[in-house]
Amino acid sequence: MPGSTGGSRSTRPLWLLVGLLIAVGVIVPLLIPIYDQAEPTLLGFPFYYWFQFLLVPIVAGLTYAAFRLSQSATDRDRAERGLGPAAGREDQAGDRR
Amino acid sequence: MNGVELAVFLFFFLLVTVMGFLASRWRRGASLDSLDEWGLGGRGFGTFISWFLIGGDIYTAYTFVAVPALLYAGNMIGFFAVPYTIILYPIIFVFLPRLWSVSHRHGYVTPADFVQGRFDSRPLALAVAITGILATMPYIALQLVGIQVVLEVMGIGTNGDSWFARDLPLFIAFAVLAAYTYSSGLRAPALIAFVKDALIYVVILVAVFYLPTQLGGWDGIFSAAQDSFDAANEASGSVSKGLIPTGALHWSYVSLALGSALALFMYPHSLTGVLATKNRSVIRRNAALLPAYSFLLGLLALLGFAAIAAGVQTDNAQLAVPEMLDRMFPDWFAGVAFAAIAIGALVPAAIMSIAAANLWTRNVYKAFLKPDATPQQEAKQSKLVSLVVKFGALVFVLGLPNDFAINLQLLGGVWILQTFPAIVGGLYTRWFHRTALLLGWLAGMVYGTVIAYLQPTATDPNAHFGSSVATVPFTDTKGYIALTAFVINVLVVVIATVVLNALKVSPGRDHTRPDDYHADAGDPGVEELDLEDVAAEPPVRGTS
Repeated sequence: MPGSTGGSRSTRPLWLLVGLLIAVGVIVPLLIPIYDQAEPTLLGFPFYYWFQFLLVPIVAGLTYAAFRLSQSATDRDRAERGLGPAAGREDQAGDRR
Repeated sequence: MNGVELAVFLFFFLLVTVMGFLASRWRRGASLDSLDEWGLGGRGFGTFISWFLIGGDIYTAYTFVAVPALLYAGNMIGFFAVPYTIILYPIIFVFLPRLWSVSHRHGYVTPADFVQGRFDSRPLALAVAITGILATMPYIALQLVGIQVVLEVMGIGTNGDSWFARDLPLFIAFAVLAAYTYSSGLRAPALIAFVKDALIYVVILVAVFYLPTQLGGWDGIFSAAQDSFDAANEASGSVSKGLIPTGALHWSYVSLALGSALALFMYPHSLTGVLATKNRSVIRRNAALLPAYSFLLGLLALLGFAAIAAGVQTDNAQLAVPEMLDRMFPDWFAGVAFAAIAIGALVPAAIMSIAAANLWTRNVYKAFLKPDATPQQEAKQSKLVSLVVKFGALVFVLGLPNDFAINLQLLGGVWILQTFPAIVGGLYTRWFHRTALLLGWLAGMVYGTVIAYLQPTATDPNAHFGSSVATVPFTDTKGYIALTAFVINVLVVVIATVVLNALKVSPGRDHTRPDDYHADAGDPGVEELDLEDVAAEPPVRGTS
């Protein structure tokens, strides 16, 4: 689990939250009994199909939130070990151009 | 056979191939910056471009042919590919950054390297390497079937009675693949990625947005599929076809999605791409961006229903989508679509065969057979073995039922998933004993292979390897064999670890340290990996 990613006492809650977001993203798509029905339809798609399409942006959002949280947790962990911020921050700025 | 269609197909096919070949010569003198172009992060590229390029590699014969075929045939669990690709990314998010870190501290470029370093066990590393090579073969076989299907719909080799004429498209597909890999290695697929991906995206977008408007909208497509399945169920007197899995099929659906997602990044070709990324956070950021592909993949899968609505009737479900494209599109665009599907199958097949061959050269040939091999000998080995791997794939196509090629890929998953406890388990704990991991791997491999062998096809009770789901022991539900074998594997590992530790059998020396698993680019001891060695190296270069 990401909760064990070298987290110190102060970042443990953050890593737990990351783990929770990820766990929801993995488990909910596998809970087929909550969506194995045809009704209600949307734009011609049975519920079973459009719900799974809807899960795509939802899980992406959860994973992105987990990514941002993991970044700040990693930076705090690294600061405690006397290291600079994680690599990759500069190319993030580059991507926004 | 349709002249315009075939001409357009050949034009694009040759264009891309020649371009790749020329490009590889043109770039040869410059810095040989290897597989960066299609590595998961796309080292030199911004997020958008790497996102575009990775997508081109995700849409293979698996998405164009194998998955839609399941839906066309009314297989209720066919849509599992969507949850599979949804949960894949959160799973990547968790363990791949650790693998990135430890690999960059120690210069590991294959999973077998890591297992060797962590568990100090040559037999275990060998098992991981051999499994990677074996499991790649049926995956390549799926791509061969994809090319075969396209050639068949274009009318090549279908009107013959002899086995040779029937299998002619397959042999052409194989010959083209072999020639392609031989002539241009991996560099060309990387350099033609833009053209190839542009073709694939155009076809996907036209297919999933234009076709439904011609077939009465998604509403019409779903109701046509429902009507067709209802009629078939009435005729057969059973409820075997449908749009939504019944309760009895839930575990099959879930286990196929979960098993496939856990297996994907154990394959040699996919792991190399991850290791090529610039730093840890590229992996996590991409994990958040990549799910957008799952959306298009799902719409492509639904083309199986669209083929029903278009009135396509064929005994071979895999022909359904290409036949629909043939019917619905003008000849020239059908030619473009077929070229896109064929190239989209060829390129990953070439990448996979070279990754498997280089795994052999690094972790079997150099590790066991000839430690003092010269670069020329290594290149020759890779070249030969990449051919052997492709022959292996051909054997899988010819020897196994291939009316649903997805079973070939799922069989690869049965095997590759058995390396998961050593690789991912090893990333988190050293508690597992190296010999226990080997025993667990053996148990999973034997169980999975035997059970897969015992599965008949729907039409032939005497056939083997006909299905990827089987009854889970001690239950009456069916599930993906890979996941059942994986559970057996882990149980054996745990029990054997307890026993071996109690007997004080030496666990070997761990060459990694806890902080290796968190290191990032720029940290002390983190080095650029020489991935050129494993995957980017065209096998011909040493001899040219």
